[in-house]
Amino acid sequence: MKLPSIVSNFIDIAHEKRHLFFTVLGVTLMCPPAFAEEVKPVAYWGFGQEESTPLQSHGGVHRDVPGPRPDRYPDFPADNIAARFDGKGARFTFTDPGPGSPFDFTNGDEITLEAWVKIDQILEGESVYLIGKGRTGNPGFARDNQNWALRIRMMDGRIRASFLFSSIHEGSSPPKNEENWHRWTSDQGFKKGEDWHHVAIAYRFGSPESLVSVIDGKQVTGYWDAGGPTKNPPTVDNDAVWIGSALGGSAGNSFRGDLDEVGIYRTAISVATLKARYRGPEVQFSSGLQPEEMPRLENLPDGAVQVTCHEGMPTHFRWLNDDETLPAETLRWQTNSFLMDRLPQRYDSWGIRENWKAPVLVRLAADVSLPPGKHRFLMRVRGLSRLWINGTLVARGVPAKGSQDGFEPMTPPAVPPKPGLRIAEHRQQEVSGEYEVTIDGKSRVVLETLVGGRDFRSDPGELCVAVETADGNSFLLLQPDQESPSHLTNPVVTSLLSQQNREMQKFDDQRRRAAALSQESFWNRRHQFARDWAKQNPVPSLPANAQQRHPIDAFLEAKIQSALAASSKTPLEEARKFHKDVLSILRDQCFRCHGEKTQGGLSLISLEAAQTGGDSGFAAIHPGNAEKSELIRRIRSDSPEERMPPGGAGLSEKERSVLEDWINHGARWPAPPVTPEMVKHPPVLNDEAFLRRLFLDTVGVIPTAEEVREFLNDESPDKRARWVDRLLADDRWADHWMAYWLDVLAENPTLLNGSLNTTGPFRWFIYDSFKDNKPIDRFVTELVLLKGSAYEGGSAGFGIAAENDAPFAAKGQILASAFLGIELQCARCHDSPYHSTKQQDLYALAAMFQKKPVTVPKSSRVPAAFFENQSRESLIHVSLKPDEPIPPVWPFGELTGSIDDETLATLIQNPADSREKLAALITAPQNQRFSEVIVNRVWRRLIGTGIIDSPDDWEGKSSSHPELLKWLAQEFIINGYDIKQLSRLILNSQIYQREAIRSTLPVSPDMQFFIAPTRRRMSAEQVVDSLCVAVGQSMDVEEMTFAPEAGRTSQSRLTLGVPDRAWKFANLANERDRPSLSLPRARAIADIMEAFGWNGARQSPRTDRETDSNVLQPGILQNSDAAVLLTRASIQSGLADRAVNAVSPEQLVETLFLSILNRVPSEEERRALTPILAEGFQQRLLPNAEQKPVQFPDPLPVVTWSNHVQPEANSIAVEMERRAQAGLPPDPRLRPEWREAYEDVVWGIVNLSEFVWVP
Amino acid sequence: MHRRDFLKTAAIAAAASSSSMPHLTYAEAPPLQGKVEHVISIWLGGGMGAMDTFDPKRVGDPQKKVPGSYYPSIETAIPGVKLCEHLKHMAPLMDRVTAVRTVNHHVIDEHAAATNFMHTGRPVSGTVVYPSLGSIVSHERGPAGEGVPPYVLIGYPNVTRGPGFLGARHGYLYLTDTSRGPAGLSRPTSIPPQRHSRRESILATLRQHQGQQHQDLLQDYEEAIDLSLQLSGPSFNRSFHLDEEPADLRNQYGSEFGQRCLLARRLVERGVRFVEVSHNLNFLNGTGWDVHNEGILQQHALIQDLDTAVSTLILDLQKKKILDKTLIVITTEFGRPPEFDAGGGRGHQGTAMTCVLAGGGLNHCGAYGETDELAKKIVTNPVSVPDFFATIHASLGIDFAKYLYDGDRPVPITDNGRPMTALFS
Repeated sequence: MKLPSIVSNFIDIAHEKRHLFFTVLGVTLMCPPAFAEEVKPVAYWGFGQEESTPLQSHGGVHRDVPGPRPDRYPDFPADNIAARFDGKGARFTFTDPGPGSPFDFTNGDEITLEAWVKIDQILEGESVYLIGKGRTGNPGFARDNQNWALRIRMMDGRIRASFLFSSIHEGSSPPKNEENWHRWTSDQGFKKGEDWHHVAIAYRFGSPESLVSVIDGKQVTGYWDAGGPTKNPPTVDNDAVWIGSALGGSAGNSFRGDLDEVGIYRTAISVATLKARYRGPEVQFSSGLQPEEMPRLENLPDGAVQVTCHEGMPTHFRWLNDDETLPAETLRWQTNSFLMDRLPQRYDSWGIRENWKAPVLVRLAADVSLPPGKHRFLMRVRGLSRLWINGTLVARGVPAKGSQDGFEPMTPPAVPPKPGLRIAEHRQQEVSGEYEVTIDGKSRVVLETLVGGRDFRSDPGELCVAVETADGNSFLLLQPDQESPSHLTNPVVTSLLSQQNREMQKFDDQRRRAAALSQESFWNRRHQFARDWAKQNPVPSLPANAQQRHPIDAFLEAKIQSALAASSKTPLEEARKFHKDVLSILRDQCFRCHGEKTQGGLSLISLEAAQTGGDSGFAAIHPGNAEKSELIRRIRSDSPEERMPPGGAGLSEKERSVLEDWINHGARWPAPPVTPEMVKHPPVLNDEAFLRRLFLDTVGVIPTAEEVREFLNDESPDKRARWVDRLLADDRWADHWMAYWLDVLAENPTLLNGSLNTTGPFRWFIYDSFKDNKPIDRFVTELVLLKGSAYEGGSAGFGIAAENDAPFAAKGQILASAFLGIELQCARCHDSPYHSTKQQDLYALAAMFQKKPVTVPKSSRVPAAFFENQSRESLIHVSLKPDEPIPPVWPFGELTGSIDDETLATLIQNPADSREKLAALITAPQNQRFSEVIVNRVWRRLIGTGIIDSPDDWEGKSSSHPELLKWLAQEFIINGYDIKQLSRLILNSQIYQREAIRSTLPVSPDMQFFIAPTRRRMSAEQVVDSLCVAVGQSMDVEEMTFAPEAGRTSQSRLTLGVPDRAWKFANLANERDRPSLSLPRARAIADIMEAFGWNGARQSPRTDRETDSNVLQPGILQNSDAAVLLTRASIQSGLADRAVNAVSPEQLVETLFLSILNRVPSEEERRALTPILAEGFQQRLLPNAEQKPVQFPDPLPVVTWSNHVQPEANSIAVEMERRAQAGLPPDPRLRPEWREAYEDVVWGIVNLSEFVWVP
Repeated sequence: MHRRDFLKTAAIAAAASSSSMPHLTYAEAPPLQGKVEHVISIWLGGGMGAMDTFDPKRVGDPQKKVPGSYYPSIETAIPGVKLCEHLKHMAPLMDRVTAVRTVNHHVIDEHAAATNFMHTGRPVSGTVVYPSLGSIVSHERGPAGEGVPPYVLIGYPNVTRGPGFLGARHGYLYLTDTSRGPAGLSRPTSIPPQRHSRRESILATLRQHQGQQHQDLLQDYEEAIDLSLQLSGPSFNRSFHLDEEPADLRNQYGSEFGQRCLLARRLVERGVRFVEVSHNLNFLNGTGWDVHNEGILQQHALIQDLDTAVSTLILDLQKKKILDKTLIVITTEFGRPPEFDAGGGRGHQGTAMTCVLAGGGLNHCGAYGETDELAKKIVTNPVSVPDFFATIHASLGIDFAKYLYDGDRPVPITDNGRPMTALFS
């Protein structure tokens, strides 16, 4: 607008912006904007750079920000400057000159107000001040003294122009209902964005119809939306003029953004002139919402409800404006009723979970047969919704509300719409409406609802539409196929939902797998590369005896034979003596540094090595001459710097003389003593035990009685192999692997605030990967690339480490131990004293992961005081300087065989990305460490002991069967890194199928022959899941969340769903020690798992849990609430059904044994238990008339994070705990005396130690 | 029960740890050797504000947002040491108490992290899971009697109270209901005794017929079954029969929290080494000690509850002549600032806070360390959390400068903490 004409003496000033330029009539002169008509401002502010003015700034007001500039706004100078306001009361103020000032307006006066604005932030419903006189909150003035104000308001997503003043009221004082406030607001407005906008209003006081408003060169309509139009004069006093705020600096009325060219005129400038003031991009206005019409959806499927999703709606609190278009449909599926309790999973282009782009418009639509006549409908929704029938709007839902922090009032449980019907879920809106069907035939029903939002999780809650029955006694879920009416009762809805959930899971699987195909060709290429590489790098071939044997058994047998042969060369006694007396000292005292590791260049692993000596050049052992042996000198040295082993008391005199004697007698080093008895194989497992072990090792739970019977009755010779295949194909395979990877990868999601090294819930990424049997190289690659949603289950959740100052170092440590057998724990703060790894290695890895150089954080530095207090030279060294940036360079080329060279390019999609590089270097076939580590992990999991028995730390460890390990790794690579295939190989071997043994001591690798698997106890998850299977009852626990209403994003309050398998649990820590933040039913199950070694708070990675027996394990299975409830014949439980359907006490005993221990009972066991069940067996069923109806307790208000500090929340929590202890009532069909004896028998069998052991 | 068996099988029993690792020692020798045998550690979850309790200052005004104490103060047994008026039973006992007014830490104001810090004395590293104080004491001293666990938690289970790298056998047994005994080792009330007898007899018969449990590993579990049957029987569980105590005494202890303190005394008498008692009753004011906003309106009820129970505990221990060998510790995750929030409550403040020591034969002085006029800054004698822990170790005769071992890795027992020598005469 700065047209260079009109009043020349001002133009220059305005143009150059040398002064913040304001004028007051009669005081200075007037401003010169380019008007067709000549108008003079009372005041005009251009916010230049260097002016000195009576304007005072308060709070965060900044000069020097760019104003509107060409080319976009051609009327402005190229260096135009504006003022920025931070809000929270930031403002310019100008003191009113006094009575009769040019800023005072009353009836008959004309006024024009204008400004250029660029909005940084404004919230829906807010009215913020551009400029106004009065209503400052200054002392000595009435609160309602607004003479005039130009404001902008955000309504329905539109920023509108608004004019406000207060009139002098007559009558009561103060006026009621604020009727003396008069506010005009434009119908149209602009959207938030980066552009500048011109806003102007002109008015003649006393003539309410005179108001005109122009925005961005267009006249806009509007109306007096508060206080109505008035002819009363406005309030006039000597209060100040404020720019950018009002009401003492109220944050909600403060402008956040940039302002320029603010003007006040004592003329009503014409619309044409005001229009001409804007030259800039054409701006689209909206006058508000699109007209409400039922969406036109052609061709709905017959007999189904069609559901569609449109992602990325503008906001959760309104429908589309007339200038907005419906986002494209992203997903469509069909279901059988107007019922839904979750959205399908959203996947990215690789098939990894990601967030919905919320809000999501979800439409459920169907053609439904409704008889003509009046009907009442009921709709349950979480957010903004509308229900249409045949084009008529029948019911509306209001926008979802956010959650508070603890202080929200308790929400009473909903009242059922009719007695006996299911109530609406916590915080679901229940709205009803009537509609008269006039057409004969099908009616079209459409429900539109907005799910999720910027501040909400995308969770629709339990949503449904139901129609009242003709008799008025019930509601039926609306279904296109009304043949079998579904009443809105708990059993019907839960059954439909679980059916729907199964369908939804299939739908998810199918879409995920389809998306994953997008990467298929890349991975096919990589696996072809791997096969080619394997061909060029052959491994030990199968032993000669392999024809008759499974290859694994052939390798094992070969070692046995060669060990027997070697042993036969030395008398057994001599060999035993050496291995028992001499080698044990070396192993315990020296091998830590001089075994596989060679500190100081010295290894004592063999006589040859010891004779060679280390860096000193002295032979450690001189056969026949102890005195000349450096080893003896060092163990006898008095110097603390020289004596070995370092620190501690050193060797005992007896140990020293044993070593001396041995050297003086020639230092003979015979092969280990092995006798045929030592390598005799235990028998192969019987069928019962085999099946139980196979189930636990593949699907993680014991088989059912029916499965055991089926297997035992199967007489085909290859039945074991067939059942191996059958179980490997079972989806529960994924469940079984979860516990393992959650521990190894330290998955640690939190139900409350991120803290204590918590991560995102990347459990879902792991689960999906194993469900799809994703090749492990691809699994690791996608893990490292941190894809998808960090808080809703993508691998990105792995990248989170709350309150950890070096998150990527923490993750580097996990990757190295999980996939490379490299332990970097120490390297976080210093070089490892017993490993070759350096700080540099870990931080280089972290840098690759983080895609930029990293420095050691302050809190990971060893305090100087530590070194000052050392009496001997410290074993630890800090090699990195503080603040030294460590570049992203692969540190493990030599160790793994995987080199960062040009061959890598074929394994990467984007070679410039160091994170992708890292993933490829870990998973490339050249990285033999990787394939061997994985193979060893799988082997160890199935056999109980590893070929290298330290799965996450290989340094200094030797392999008991190096050829077998290499051969298996090669097979693994050739088979495309397929863990199922690898498992199949091991499960079909003889070794796997033998009776387990327990070796009393750790076996040294040369004495490890794998004559049988190692005996294992069930994992915590297996105990709980198997108990549920054994008693035929599902786990009855709360949803893992404190925000069931989804009133926050997943980042701050996630849900992990309702667990149906034990691995789905998470840390239930109640840091604030509040009863109202406990989940008592889940707690009861977690107690069992914790006793058996589970820990939901996985702060750091681990492969092995503690396995020692302890008193709490049997204790918790005998006494805990959960165990009592699971062994109860409660209503609708498997135990109750078995008792009701039993044919005889004998048969019932057998069924119990098959269900719980997976074997038939022995004669003694039958004899012991049958009489107990026989007593009263015939009368065990109560006649219907005698059965007491089961009373379920009334629903309680839901305790959530939002309301948990309300006193009532605690008393409800205590009641929840009481109910959790009480559990489901016993089955009313069974006579109590007999039922109790039956439960006691079940309890007895469950509490046998046999239950918790893997055969 | 054989002690050997208990040690072998109990998750809860401590075993002395020996290591072949070099023992790295401080140049200076630990001179302090307290005589404490037991610790009762009272935990005020949520964050107790010192200026409303043990470090009162001038009274402020929550309405006008004038910083200061919420309540007037009263004199105590120690001249010059004042307490808030709601600690009136503690006031005459302050010669047996030291309010350490200058504990401080810089852990981010997140409850979980600060709770962890106040239990382990260290921030979370992601490489080492540090043991809690209770687990360390359990590891170093084991149980003080036969057939009892060394470490009991009366409150919700939580990893921050856990054993970290010391392993499950140095973990706690927990209970949340003083009438029931610890989870897993007390008989479920829903199964009457005669049914339990039948259950045990069925189990005994079936075990008799199980032939093949002779492997060591399985034998261990069999022994654990025997032991669990024994521990969940009447003998150990008698500790939880509070109704054996005189009704007067039970009344004096007061609320559920008081009953927890009474139970702690009974457990100590049985030989439990370390008992943590959680004061988690946010029934009283909604937010418990986390007195944001209107949570503060009923804060005095919490303070009075604490006052009643702890003063009774001190006198009761004294009467039983075990106060000198029982150290009472009161800790909380952080303090609270003198300023008031918009709702008249208080935010979090870790940089100056009060923790309390009582009994244990220490040289008590009512209060230790000094804060400024609003308890916002430390003026003299700051005490770091490691210092505070080192003081507790020293009182128990545990070498506060020694190392623990996470596998190979030496970990100082506290993070360079030094005991408050003034408390050792």
